Order: sequence, then structure tokens, then C-alpha cells
Amino acid sequence: MSLVEFKNVTKSFGAISVLKDVDLTIEEGEVVVLIGPSGSGKSTLLRCINALEAINGGDLEVDGISVRASRSEIRLIRQEAGMVFQQFNLFPQMTALENVAFGPRRVRNLTKAEALEQARALLAKVGLADRGHHYPSELSGGQQQRVAIARALAVKPKLMLFDEPTSALDPELRHEVLRVMQSLAEEGMTMIVVTHEIGFARKVGTRLIFMENGKIAVDGDPAALLDNADNPRLKEFLQHVH
Amino acid sequence: MEFEWSVVWQALPELFKGAQLTVMIALAGLAGGLVIGIVAGLMRAYGNALLNGIAFLYIEVIRGTPIVVQVMFIYFALPLAVDIRINPITAAITAIIVNAGAYIAEIVRGSFLSIHNGLREAGLALGLPSWKVLLYVIGPLAFRRMIPALGNQFIVSLKDTSLFIVIGVGELTRQGQEIMAANFRAVEIWSAVAVFYLIMTGTLTLVLRLTEKRMKIL
Ligand SMILES: Nc1ncnc2c1ncn2[C@@H]1O[C@H](COP(=O)(O)OP(=O)(O)OP(=O)(O)O)[C@@H](O)[C@H]1O
Ligand SMILES: [Mg+2]
Repeated sequence: MSLVEFKNVTKSFGAISVLKDVDLTIEEGEVVVLIGPSGSGKSTLLRCINALEAINGGDLEVDGISVRASRSEIRLIRQEAGMVFQQFNLFPQMTALENVAFGPRRVRNLTKAEALEQARALLAKVGLADRGHHYPSELSGGQQQRVAIARALAVKPKLMLFDEPTSALDPELRHEVLRVMQSLAEEGMTMIVVTHEIGFARKVGTRLIFMENGKIAVDGDPAALLDNADNPRLKEFLQHVH
Repeated sequence: MEFEWSVVWQALPELFKGAQLTVMIALAGLAGGLVIGIVAGLMRAYGNALLNGIAFLYIEVIRGTPIVVQVMFIYFALPLAVDIRINPITAAITAIIVNAGAYIAEIVRGSFLSIHNGLREAGLALGLPSWKVLLYVIGPLAFRRMIPALGNQFIVSLKDTSLFIVIGVGELTRQGQEIMAANFRAVEIWSAVAVFYLIMTGTLTLVLRLTEKRMKIL
């Protein structure tokens, strides 16, 4: 069974139609990199997967559960699909450790001690073992984003969604986040990543999707597409981001 | 004319009793007002059209009428309308609950809505139900932002208790009025009453400052 399945999905905000009959199937273990011009619907597509946006037409299933199902099933989808935001969105009143322990405690109902122990392991995994007691405001952007990745992983998702995870970061801080994402991909995590990091797409991605105007315009192997795109608009887009 | 300290000393026990009643009414009223205000504020911020409408109507009616009219209504009109006996102190506490509740509702709504929506989404994205996101993520942040405005409302409500003189509650102002009527020492009595209020509001301000200092606003 596929992990994510879009069937003729449409989504609009008022009169603006943002996703137009999207069909897309993503299998376990894929690392899908989503690119496309601003406003083409990349974030919306991602946010429909964990039902932060409700779809208007068609159907969308995550691990066999429809995003049109009941609220409690939508919560199950969200536990399966961890999300990392462009602006990190860490909880500012909690330390890094508490941020990471939050999901297991409040969603998986672990005891505080168990949750903190897991959180420590996850922070170590993203290279922040020594920053557990810092508040988000005391961390650099790159560190905050790595905490945010650990926070999402703590709920033990089957799938990770990244919406421009490095766009808010200074160039010299991007690689530390990209490295964590790469090692996650190497462990076999299924990932959907909206990004302008073409290097990441080539090195880590197993599939590249170019979105345009609410539709999937190109879908294929990253290296092949990046080296000789025959879609003229993809070609033009790549010239701009390179 | 001379300021007679002895008048003040003599009045102290009575004034002190009045101040105690003032504090009691204010505390009970604000505790209730906080509960009503949180509920109504959350209804305004997150409720469906019906809940939002109910809360809106409540807030508008209370903000649009003077508190003296409200307490008169509770004390004199309500017993006639629905046939219940209500004593002055209960009427006074109820008036503060209902009145402060409406203002606190607006404070609660504003501070919850001022929290960056990305945090709500981050909570939801972990698979939490909305109420847990409100309770564990948004609530604690919103509460910090509420403190200054809440403090202001507490002080206003504390002073509003002086208006309950109109239904004969023996709070601080009423005690002052009665002593004054007997000895005609307006300067001494009203100075003393004012100092009593200042001590109460000053204490409140101090407690709020300390709370604000302990909780960084994020
Ligand atoms: N909550 C919303 N309300 C109204 N319109 C929205 C909303 N969210 C997105 N849109 C519109 O939907 C379209 C697609 O937006 P989306 O954020 O998915 O694009 P994107 O590809 O992620 O762009 P970017 O690269 O700038 O992040 C845009 O025209 C945007 O203005
Ligand atoms: Mg976007």
C-alpha cells in the first residue's frame, strides 16, 4: 500500500483554485523533493497531507486513512506525518528538551521521565545533546530547526513533511539542517521536502516534482531532470534558483 | 481647620471591617469573573457562530450599561422578575462577576488571538486535539500577555465595589459614609478611606509586578 495517495485532489481558497486535480502516489522510503515557482501550491499540497488544510474535491489518503475522515482519524494522520515549518514554530515557553518531549507526553501519553529520556536521545541525534536546557530564543536558527525536526520525530511518524526548512536560515547555517535531513533519508524515512536546495534534491532526493499553477508539471528522477530538463519552464526555473 | 488624628484612630476599626468586606467582594467577584471571562473569551475567539454570538451579546450588554444599573437590576429587579431573594452582598459579588467577566473576556480573546498561528499549527501537526493545543501551548503564552491588562481590570473592579453603597453593602465607602454622617469629619474620614483603597490597589500592583517579573512575556 502506498503511504500517500492523492486522487484528483482539488483545493481552493475562495475563488482562487490552488490545487487542480492532483494525482500523486508516494511509496514508503521515497524522498520526494517538491520545487516550483512561488504561489504554485507547494505548501498547500504539503499541508493537505496532514490536514492543516482541508481538501475541496477528490480524496487523499495517508497510510490508508482519508483526510476526509473523523477528527480522531485526522489526529492519527498527523501522528504519522511529522511536519517541519519554515519558521521552526518551536514553543517558546519550553526548553529544547521540553519541546521534543511534548509530543510523546501529550500525544502518546508517556510519563514525563520516559518522554524526557527519548527527547535526550533525539536531541543527541540532531547534534544538540548539550543544548537541551536552552530556550528557543537562546538558540541559533539552525539549532532551532534541528530541535523542530527532533520534535516532529519524537511522535514516531512514518513520514516527514518539510516546508522550506532552510529558507529562513543564513546560508552558513543551512548545511547543518540539511545534514540532519540527509541522515534521516539514509535511515529510510519517507520524506516530502519543499525546498530550493537543488544540491539536496540531487544528492538525497529519489524523486523530483516540479509544480506549476496548482498542477504537477514534471515528475521524475532528480539527476536526470536537473541535468537535462526538457520542460522549458522547469529549465527556466532551474536557471533562476541555481 | 485642623486635621484631627484621633478621629481617624476612632474610625479605624469600622473602616477596617469595611475594607475586609471590600476585599472579600472583590476577590470572590474576580474569581468568578475570571472563570466567566475565560469561557466567554474562548467562545469569542474559537466558538462557532452561535457560541460567538452569545458571548458577543453578553459582552456588549455589560459594557454598554453602567455597573450601578447592573447591581440595581440584580438586587431590585431580578427578585421581582424571577422571584428569588438575594442579599446585598450576594448581589454585589454577582455584579462584579458579571461585570468583570465581560471585560476579562475581551482581554482573554485578544491575548489568545495575539499568539502566532504557527504555534497552534505546530501543536496540531503533532496530532494533538485542539483543546490540548489551547491548554498546553497557546494558553500559557496567552496568560503571560494577559497579566498587565488583567491587573488593570482587577484594580478597576476593586474600586467599583465602592458603588455598591447604593444597595447598602457595608463595604469601605459605605462605612466611611456612615461614620461621616455621625461626626461630620469629612476631611479625616475620606482621607482615611482613600488611604485604605491605595493600600489595597498598591498591594495588587505589587503582586502583579512580581508575577510579571517571574514570567517573561514571550
Ligand atoms: N490561507 C490562505 N488563504 C488564501 N489564499 C491562500 C492561503 N494560503 C495560500 N493561499 C494562496 O494559494 C496559492 C498557493 O499558495 P502556496 O503557499 O501553496 O504556494 P507555494 O508554492 O508554497 O509558494 P511559496 O514558494 O511562495 O511558498 C497562492 O496564490 C496563495 O496566495
Ligand atoms: Mg510555500
